[in-house]
Amino acid sequence: MKIVAEGLGVRLSGRVVFADVAFTWNGPGLFTVTGRNGAGKTTLLKVIAALLRPGRGAVRWELDGVGALTPAAARRRLGFAGPELGLWEELSALENLAFGARARGLAWSDAHGSAWLDRLGLGDRGGERLATYSSGMKQRVKLAFAMLGEPALVLLDEPGSNLDDEGRVAVAMLVREVARRALVVVATNDPAEAAWGTNGIAL
Amino acid sequence: MGHERDRAVTPGSVAGGSNGGSLLGTAWAVFAKDVTTELRSRYAVAATATFALAALAVVSFAVGPFGGRAELLAAFLWTVILFAAAAGLAQAFVREAERRTWLTLRLVAAPGAILLGKWGVNLAVLASIEVLVVPAFLVLFGVEFRSLPAFLAILVLANLGLSAALTLVSALLAQARAHGALVSALAFPLVVPVLMAAIVGTRRAFTEPGAWPPEWRVLAAYAGVVVGIGVLLAEHVLDD
Repeated sequence: MKIVAEGLGVRLSGRVVFADVAFTWNGPGLFTVTGRNGAGKTTLLKVIAALLRPGRGAVRWELDGVGALTPAAARRRLGFAGPELGLWEELSALENLAFGARARGLAWSDAHGSAWLDRLGLGDRGGERLATYSSGMKQRVKLAFAMLGEPALVLLDEPGSNLDDEGRVAVAMLVREVARRALVVVATNDPAEAAWGTNGIAL
Repeated sequence: MGHERDRAVTPGSVAGGSNGGSLLGTAWAVFAKDVTTELRSRYAVAATATFALAALAVVSFAVGPFGGRAELLAAFLWTVILFAAAAGLAQAFVREAERRTWLTLRLVAAPGAILLGKWGVNLAVLASIEVLVVPAFLVLFGVEFRSLPAFLAILVLANLGLSAALTLVSALLAQARAHGALVSALAFPLVVPVLMAAIVGTRRAFTEPGAWPPEWRVLAAYAGVVVGIGVLLAEHVLDD
């Protein structure tokens, strides 16, 4: 996946969040978006995810073997985990993952979902409702949700938030592995997470 | 597409994302997800049923039991259903916004599929309330049918149109503040045709033996048009 951003600008509620942001990111690889609170990191990820239309400029998505993607096609090719992307608390972790897979037309089995949850340290808790999970456990489920279908573009907004040390290590390993086959964009304030990649932008 | 659909969701393999599910497949996934969450929370059903029963009680106090002309009773029945629907059906989108699941839903499901799935859920919520409210209304006011099949046909077709219109307006306002109030205000002009046809058709079913109310055509066409417009314009309706 390749993302080209040209002259991006977003204004929300009359305030300029960012302006004239431009970059070309060619995957696979890991790119970071850093900046102080309110700099627009989450907003930029939403623009990249085609969930928010920029006031100025444009984003182009290109996929090897497919070519340029429409915003709708780009959304289907990406996974996104972040504080503004919640999951359904009445459903179990496995039911959330099953919904994500089925909505995208992916084959699904509980065994496959459990493999992801095991990988992120949730073990045999996959059948329990999210409402009973701690914030760190929910974060792990969100990360598994973002990885469904092996997307070509993975957007992670503060991926280590609410995680304990063990969780942070597991996520760091997962992100490095995924970045070998996909374009991974990490938005973070955490110096340790910012050090995962050497390329990216500061807002 | 077939290849994409057959691909397993396994850690490790290189795939590149999804081409997306079919419209109906994704709509079914949204419907099933919402039905499961609704069965566990009973949020929309509780809101709708409470309002419907309260409205029914108010009407029964105003009219009195076992009384009233067929024209009035038909209007009262649809007034109760309309206000209950307006109170409850907007919840399908409100809850996604409140729980911050709206962006997640937008990410995994196409706009047309979201609309269809939510419409299905709203239809199910409305039907489940009517199973409770309509028999209570009929017994409370001593309504005698001249044509039960005609009444049921009007009820089903009006439900299709009413739930479709409220779902569409609710989707338009999915991200708006004061969502519930706006849905009621903006949906009202849109549902006037279905409400008028439902009232006249219901009155005919109450009073005209063997009659098949011609209003069924209006109701069927209305539902078809609203659903068709919704699916065709879904991308624009749900996009920021």
